[in-house]
Amino acid sequence: MNFKIIGMDFVYSVKGWYRSRGGMFWSLAFPIILILLFGAIFSGVGNTKYTLYIQDEDQSQISEMFNTTLNSTKLFNINMVKPDVNITEYIKDKNIKAVIVIPKGFGDKVRLSEKVNLSFYYDPSDQTTVQVVRSVVTSILQQMNMEISHGSNIIGVSEIKTITENFNYIDFFLPGMIGFTIMQSAIYGSIERNTKYRKDGILRKLQTTPITRTEWILAKMLFMMFLAGITTTLISIIGILVFGMTVNITPLVIIIVIATSFLFSGMGMLIGRFVKEEETADTAGGAISFPMMFLAGTFFPLEQMPQFLQVVARVLPLYYVNEGLRNSMIYLNQNEALINGGVVIVFAAVFFISGVILTKWKED
Amino acid sequence: MIEQRFKCPVCGEISVFHGNPGEQQVVVCPGCHSKGRITIPLLSRPNGHAIEVTHLKKVYGDLIAVNDISFAVRKGEVFAFLGPNGAGKTTTVEMIESIRQPTSGTIKLLGCDIRTDFNGVKEKIGILPQEFHSFERLTVRETLLYFSNLFKKKADVDEIISTLDLTDHKNMLYKTLSGGLKQRVGVAIALVNDPEVIFLDEPTTGLDPKARREVWGVIAGLRKKGKTVFLTTHYMEEAEFLADHIAVIHKGKIIAEGSLEDLIQRYGSDSILHIKKCKDAADVIAMLKQEGFPDASSEGNGDIAVKIDYKERVLEILSRLRHDCVEYDSVDIRRSNLEEVFLRLTGSKLMEEEQ
Repeated sequence: MNFKIIGMDFVYSVKGWYRSRGGMFWSLAFPIILILLFGAIFSGVGNTKYTLYIQDEDQSQISEMFNTTLNSTKLFNINMVKPDVNITEYIKDKNIKAVIVIPKGFGDKVRLSEKVNLSFYYDPSDQTTVQVVRSVVTSILQQMNMEISHGSNIIGVSEIKTITENFNYIDFFLPGMIGFTIMQSAIYGSIERNTKYRKDGILRKLQTTPITRTEWILAKMLFMMFLAGITTTLISIIGILVFGMTVNITPLVIIIVIATSFLFSGMGMLIGRFVKEEETADTAGGAISFPMMFLAGTFFPLEQMPQFLQVVARVLPLYYVNEGLRNSMIYLNQNEALINGGVVIVFAAVFFISGVILTKWKED
Repeated sequence: MIEQRFKCPVCGEISVFHGNPGEQQVVVCPGCHSKGRITIPLLSRPNGHAIEVTHLKKVYGDLIAVNDISFAVRKGEVFAFLGPNGAGKTTTVEMIESIRQPTSGTIKLLGCDIRTDFNGVKEKIGILPQEFHSFERLTVRETLLYFSNLFKKKADVDEIISTLDLTDHKNMLYKTLSGGLKQRVGVAIALVNDPEVIFLDEPTTGLDPKARREVWGVIAGLRKKGKTVFLTTHYMEEAEFLADHIAVIHKGKIIAEGSLEDLIQRYGSDSILHIKKCKDAADVIAMLKQEGFPDASSEGNGDIAVKIDYKERVLEILSRLRHDCVEYDSVDIRRSNLEEVFLRLTGSKLMEEEQ
């Protein structure tokens, strides 16, 4: 083994890396972004609070005691729902994951040692919140049962799923997977193509032909849309055949998928505009797509993240893609999906126009 | 009245004569003074300029890449833009192709000002950018069809394939082609819209000598078809072989311009007779100096170089050597070339400039 050659190669690699300002920036910035991101997510795990809604129809001393005990655990951000509100509609409108309803006459029944049940409405796709609420409520009720009837189960819980069909985590996961895959292929594809075509002189050549930038970008986005269609179909087929999932392909899903491919192709074009070298393309793509993937609730619910990151997520386009697809495909909440889809379309238009304006064919 | 080059059958000297198409003339070779009859060809090149560049300048910060250059390219000629790497060739050609923005100056392409009407001439030009690589996963024919479909005016793709001798490779993927074939495909792409002006930026850089000759053959074929070719190159022999007109660019400025003969006449020396491995070289040099060849000099190893201005002087030297029974291996005569012109103009060889 010739260590001299190995050493020389190492030195030249370092030199090359140093001279590639883009490569150096991305290779340093990417780990920094990741450590900041994951640090922010996981450093807050110990203090994570779950959002829980309570509708106290009883407004008695005993129901107040239950609420106070629940609050004292400091595990929940508790939001009170007015007693006269139709809880089923409320859950649907606000896309709520967990609600405890204390029925009217709760206090009286407890005092008379009659059996009474709290209602726990939950979204089965958000298993973490469900598990935490279930175990905390059960333990509080055990305590109360012990004090009231020395162990008899007077107070119980009846669980009600907020979505009628039987969904699993994979159902939650699938729309996120579709959004993420479209994003990955569109961003990486656009960046790599731009940098390679620039290096190979294809962009210079195209500039001297009658094709316009808008035509070219549209053509590329169309290709990305084609890929997005294939991806969505494949993932859905596998989901249905292998995991027995319930997938609803609505017209809104198709619109969101199309808008998503346009959105991320445009974003890739913009990033590609600033990435000069081919070898930097992958890193640049990763630096944008990976943080977005984790922050936008692709693989786990947004509620598990610290509050400030939830705010960050709401400015990310992938969040609206994921939510739109989930609402339309899984929860069948088409109104909410329509709003999400609208946001995705606005993002797509902004990135397409920016891509056309800022994609550069001319040299300085 | 058109200009035509003729090669003297006696001494090989190339001379320029003017006349009307089809006109016969009795001419005297300026090299060996032998008389001969020539006919100005009927197929004349069209008049007018395809490209007119005036006071063109490109500045990057403190660097003046192209420094106030002006030149014109006539329709139907092969114009070579010759210079070392970094001289400003590609910057200039890319400004003409509207890929780069000039700092100042004007460029007219087929009569159109490219700043205001480049879209109007896109249909009439064909371009092979420097270090061009096409789509890797398309076949040769698909590649040509792709680019052909971008234009309103279309040449027959299969005819181009046949002209450029690509028939055997037309169904091969671009990425599997050799360097020479890729360049031929690049030239073919530049022809898909049957352009009037073709820009070839360093079309043979990085090719082996055989592949380079193949590309030269293609460019010579374009010239025969009456196309205007703007060729940038740093290969002297390429410009010598192909160009009707040569502009030598050095450090952003055009330092000489004209036909090959013009440049050699203006900046080259006379021909040089080399006497190889001559016995008693010092005595022979002294003798030649006495006989009226003051520039006779030693080149080491018994080799002698004598500058000569016309053919009869060669015969004179050879008969004198025979008369004095001088022993030598061989003699040869070398004409001035572009390398010598470049050396004379810049004080260094082109290859040294590149290093």
